[in-house]
Amino acid sequence: MTSTLTIAALASAEKMINAALRYDPATRIGLTQLEGKIIALQITTPGITIFMMPMDDELRLMSSWDGDADTRITGSLLALAQLSQTEIHNLKDSGVTVMGDLSLLADLQRLVKNLDIDWEEMLSQFTGDIIGHQTAQLIRAKLSWAKDRAKSGQRLTSEFLTEELKTLPGKAELNDFYQQVDDLRLAVDRAAARVEKLLTERKP
Amino acid sequence: MSDKKTTHFGFKEVPVDEKAERVAEVFHSVAAKYDVMNDLMSGGIHRLWKRFTIEASGVRAGHKVLDIAGGTGDLSYQFAKLVGANGQVVLADINASMLGVGRDRLTDRGIAGNINFAQCDAQFLPFPDNTFDCITIAFGLRNVTDKDMALRSMQRVLKPGGRLLVLEFSKPQSEILSKVYDTYSFKVLPFMGKLVTNDAESYRYLAESIRMHPDQQTLKEMMDNAGFVRTEFHNMTGGIVALHKGIKP
Repeated sequence: MTSTLTIAALASAEKMINAALRYDPATRIGLTQLEGKIIALQITTPGITIFMMPMDDELRLMSSWDGDADTRITGSLLALAQLSQTEIHNLKDSGVTVMGDLSLLADLQRLVKNLDIDWEEMLSQFTGDIIGHQTAQLIRAKLSWAKDRAKSGQRLTSEFLTEELKTLPGKAELNDFYQQVDDLRLAVDRAAARVEKLLTERKP
Repeated sequence: MSDKKTTHFGFKEVPVDEKAERVAEVFHSVAAKYDVMNDLMSGGIHRLWKRFTIEASGVRAGHKVLDIAGGTGDLSYQFAKLVGANGQVVLADINASMLGVGRDRLTDRGIAGNINFAQCDAQFLPFPDNTFDCITIAFGLRNVTDKDMALRSMQRVLKPGGRLLVLEFSKPQSEILSKVYDTYSFKVLPFMGKLVTNDAESYRYLAESIRMHPDQQTLKEMMDNAGFVRTEFHNMTGGIVALHKGIKP
């Protein structure tokens, strides 16, 4: 059963998304091409289904939809979040299942990936052009810095765990270990074959 | 003793042929500030109730929708966007003042081409049989003199398979909520009405008419009797409001 609170939460989220989309004309145009399509986002943990419908150049979020969805995407919140960040080639092992029109999902994913909010335009509505421009520059620089940090942070963490703490094996070490396992397996196979041969030869 | 048939107007009994006129007076009086008062009285929650109604409507591009007692056009605005250029929405209201406010508001918001306006009585809908895919009546049925007749009229103009959605105040499901709600309706509402529209009487009528309106189960049975099938209701905000749904077979 849909509660008034869920409807309120979705209404707020919808308002925020559409307010942000006002400053990304390319995504708005992209949404008009998907107009009238219903995408059901079925989140397994926590259990909630959200229906998305592009209408005009806005996105509408609904707690229920009395009709068929064009595309139904099912998965945990984490799996769905990962899906929005990676290109879809194969959904196997992604923890996400899709029923219906897969191209609609690809279109939507492309829109999310190419989301480019014009911070400058948004801020200048409130602050005027000069302050808006300077603040937007700052936001852009910080976002770019945060993206770089996120990438290098991932690399540094893995180096720290493998090289400094030695809690995890390095890639080369692992490959060497796999090679040794392969060699051992082959040696055991050879030994087994030889024993088999000897036993056969000794039989009268 | 007079044998003239009467009906309720809030807690008062009035002759049947007077009710429409009296309801009209109430809405003429509040039309200009109807939306402000709705927001104030419900704390904005009426927008969520209407939002849920839109979700339950299943209206798609190309559909024909009749929004009865559509007043200031909240639902019609959303329906007009949903049905697109090939669909059609009819905003109907018995009250010229409310219809005028709704028409101006929709025109100001750029809604044109797929919307028509009709001043008509829900009991005698002036449309051919089997015309609409969906009919909604939000906070309007309790003001109708003969609700059964109105439901039959709606059933007639719906297409087979079409759905009727009745959004209306109903009976709170918990005793505590019911008591709080009573105090709010009979003490706070008329006071707010007095402050904003200088018309406490109209808002007293609003509170009384809500109490006189059939509860969830009774309205469901009335819809069954009018010929709807798969009737069901969904309580919102603890049953203060309920959305009833029925399909024309």
